[in-house]
Amino acid sequence: MERLVGTRVTRVEDPRILSGRGRYVDDLQLPGMLHAAFLRSPFPHARILGVQAIAARSAPGVALVLTGAEMAERTLPFQLIGPETVHCPPQTTLATDKVRLVGDPVAIVVATSRAAAEDACELIEVDYEELPAVGTMEQALDETRAPIWDDLGSNVAGREHYVHGDPDAAFAGAARVVRERFAQSRQAHVPMEGRGGIADFDPASGRLTYHSAWQGIAMTRFTLASLLQMPVHLVTVINGDIGGSFGQKSFVRSEDVSIAVASRILGRPVKWIEDRTENLAVAGHAREESLDVEAAVDADGTIRAVRIKVVLDQGAYTMSVIPSTLFTNIMRVMFPSAYRIRDLEFDATIVFSNKATYTAYRGPWEAETWVRERLIDCIAHELDLDPVEVRRRNLLRDDEMPCPMVTGPTLSGITLRSALDKAERVADYAGFRAEQAAARAEGRYLGLGVATFIEAAPGPPDYGPAIGFAVPPERATARLEADGTLTVHTAQAPHGQSHETTLAQVAADALGVPMNTVRVVHGDSRTSPFSMMGTGGSRAATVATGAVLGATREIRSQVAAVAAHLFEANPDDIDIVDGVAQVRGTPAVAMPLAQVAMTAWMAPQFLPPGMSPGIEAVFDFSSGEGGWTQSVHSCFVEVDVETGFVKILRYVVVEDCGDVINPAVVEGQIRGGVTQGIAGVLYEHAAYDEDANFRASTFMDYLLPTATEAPVIEIHHVDQTVRTDEVNSRGVGEGGAIGAPAALTNAIEDALLPFGAVVTDQYLPPSKILELAGVIPTD
Amino acid sequence: MSGVTKSSLVDVELVVNGEPRHARVEPRRMLAELLRDDLALTGTHLGCEHGVCGACTVLLDGEPVRSCLVLAVQARDQEVTTIEGLATDAGAGIDGMHAVQRGFLESISFQCGFCTPGFLMTTLAFLRERAANGSPAPPTDDEIRTALSANLCRCTGYQSIVDGVRRAAELMAESGVA
Repeated sequence: MERLVGTRVTRVEDPRILSGRGRYVDDLQLPGMLHAAFLRSPFPHARILGVQAIAARSAPGVALVLTGAEMAERTLPFQLIGPETVHCPPQTTLATDKVRLVGDPVAIVVATSRAAAEDACELIEVDYEELPAVGTMEQALDETRAPIWDDLGSNVAGREHYVHGDPDAAFAGAARVVRERFAQSRQAHVPMEGRGGIADFDPASGRLTYHSAWQGIAMTRFTLASLLQMPVHLVTVINGDIGGSFGQKSFVRSEDVSIAVASRILGRPVKWIEDRTENLAVAGHAREESLDVEAAVDADGTIRAVRIKVVLDQGAYTMSVIPSTLFTNIMRVMFPSAYRIRDLEFDATIVFSNKATYTAYRGPWEAETWVRERLIDCIAHELDLDPVEVRRRNLLRDDEMPCPMVTGPTLSGITLRSALDKAERVADYAGFRAEQAAARAEGRYLGLGVATFIEAAPGPPDYGPAIGFAVPPERATARLEADGTLTVHTAQAPHGQSHETTLAQVAADALGVPMNTVRVVHGDSRTSPFSMMGTGGSRAATVATGAVLGATREIRSQVAAVAAHLFEANPDDIDIVDGVAQVRGTPAVAMPLAQVAMTAWMAPQFLPPGMSPGIEAVFDFSSGEGGWTQSVHSCFVEVDVETGFVKILRYVVVEDCGDVINPAVVEGQIRGGVTQGIAGVLYEHAAYDEDANFRASTFMDYLLPTATEAPVIEIHHVDQTVRTDEVNSRGVGEGGAIGAPAALTNAIEDALLPFGAVVTDQYLPPSKILELAGVIPTD
Repeated sequence: MSGVTKSSLVDVELVVNGEPRHARVEPRRMLAELLRDDLALTGTHLGCEHGVCGACTVLLDGEPVRSCLVLAVQARDQEVTTIEGLATDAGAGIDGMHAVQRGFLESISFQCGFCTPGFLMTTLAFLRERAANGSPAPPTDDEIRTALSANLCRCTGYQSIVDGVRRAAELMAESGVA
């Protein structure tokens, strides 16, 4: 049988998705279902003096109105248990005393239609006393500013400080110190499907069924039960198809809890579907960080030590499941990457502002790569060296592996220097430099930007302890059904990652059956294996694969045991070929899997002594020693210094993610990630003004790239995996978005070097490009 | 009803995917809502409800429109084609797929699938228009990208969708069916 793993198998998901028969949460209509809308704050920061909902309660079609105070009587607040270093205030389900950002939910209306619910929201009168808002990082750090959380006394949520090695000594002896302040802007995740859910409480049984679109079933179930003070066993959570997430749909939010409360009161299903304005304003943002960086360097570009001070603007509330210090911690741990950086000082400050919640977004620690790769270019320019050479000089050699990063995790199997060599060859850096020089002579400005990074996908066993986050093993279960078909249950909650296809490829190969006899099931708390994480962190390629592989192998060994018993053969001599169990070397002694399975389930008297009826398996997988994906991005641009437009001429990714399960899926993940990274530089900005008014609440203001802006992205796989592990597939979900901002901003600076440009902002709209080119004055 | 009296509802008769359909709706009801909520054709998706993302694109008398911006009453007595109407033989599974669906299937064009209905309908309109204009050459990637620029996808970076349109054009040319 041809192996399925490694081939471009068409997707199991596509027949339904291409025929309009996907089942996204808004597609579900339940009998007697009502619809919810939320009244939201128009102010960034205000005290709620009173809420008048009488008119709304008696409006046509309205079944229920709950104000923040009424909701608080029925739910526990979100309360993150974070580290002592960071203040994690409780968040009531709906705003009670204060609103803390534009879009903060103040009341819920449930009615016979979404339109009726929205109409009735207009009838609720809220008496607000406006308060000064925090709209910028400077305001947040200003201790005289009124606090968003009254009990905190300031808007600094917390600080952490780490020293690895002896950076002071390294700086004292440094030939040069290169300093820069970098800033990233707010970007939104923007899944094409916003958030939504349907809560369906059955008063007779006391059971709540929640139709969700979240990245983790178990987390959703546990959180809903906790906040509603319900026993967990009475809560069922079911995902259907999910229209993208990129980290945004990774934890239960106010709206989920609110519609569950409404359904419990009304005894009817209640649906909430977010509109795009809500999604852009309140569903979550990321990337807003400022980073002061200084590097001690030798004259040849060797980096001796680095000091970093990061300020992260987490918005008004904290993510209910992740303290923001996790993001800065991953930035710290990942910063050295595979460079020989032995001394590192890292200082993190987390601030509150009147903005949307900083929410894990595709490579939430991406700033480490952006700042490091920008810094390397700055070093090269200051020392008049080639940026690629500076990278080469500082990258660990392949034969130096394995070795620990100064921040903890073990680097092994990293071959970034070879990958960089390959990138230089396939992307023809030398040829481009000649072209660039010729173009400059004609007054055209071309640039090349290079970035390297490694991605913990899922990372080695010592990665979790280093970042302070325990990464649990992944479970899969499998059952050989009585007709010989295989059902595999994964703990993943896919939302575009094609797990129904890739995990079926893995299972079909492992069992020796055609792919159409395997079904991968996910997203149902009644059958899905427990996982508090679900899908996230670029882990599935390794951990879900490993779990499914282990469970399927266990199925295979049970099949072999049963068949061997029936054939009076040795289990080790049983092969399974194309769904038929046979004795190796004696293919005439054979039995279809259906017959083996039928025997196991329905005629257990024919089983080997002591074997339980049926063929089922549970397997827990922990990843092995490697776990790094590595990548070199090369971006070529032409910058028009009259219009400020940047054209990407060529984009080349050299990538090592180990064994590729389905090349089309891997390439799709990389291209999608790169496109989001590019968009964060050129188009997307979840902008607030200085008073924290949100300025990007429609797709007219928040610009997503279309097919005419997105470049062709060339991908070259290199596979230099040292095969010490059972499973050598690694994740690629986040890397594209991590590498692209660095490669693109480096390319833009390279193009504008004749103007002395130094790119310190990541977001570079045309006006900023013109500033960098000296065409217009700096803002 | 939804905050309105029954007498303020209006009748809409239209043809959807070749079948005469009828609904009684609020005057403010959008075509997308009529399709999804009244006719249970949930293949058409709403991604922004302000006419930018294109997920809700359907064909109205053969022309692509954003069904989130078209009032249901504007579709009166017209023919609407949605993603559910694409398959040449819905019962035949992959074998019964339209060339556009098949092109996207073979090219593994999509990921989460939410924007997909809009891309399918935009592509169908694009390739039909080219066929109607007698364009003999296959579409260039630039032409395809321009045609797709009315639709947003957040997952793919578009390259696989461009591949899918190119493949769909080949399949349509091979079969001679638009």
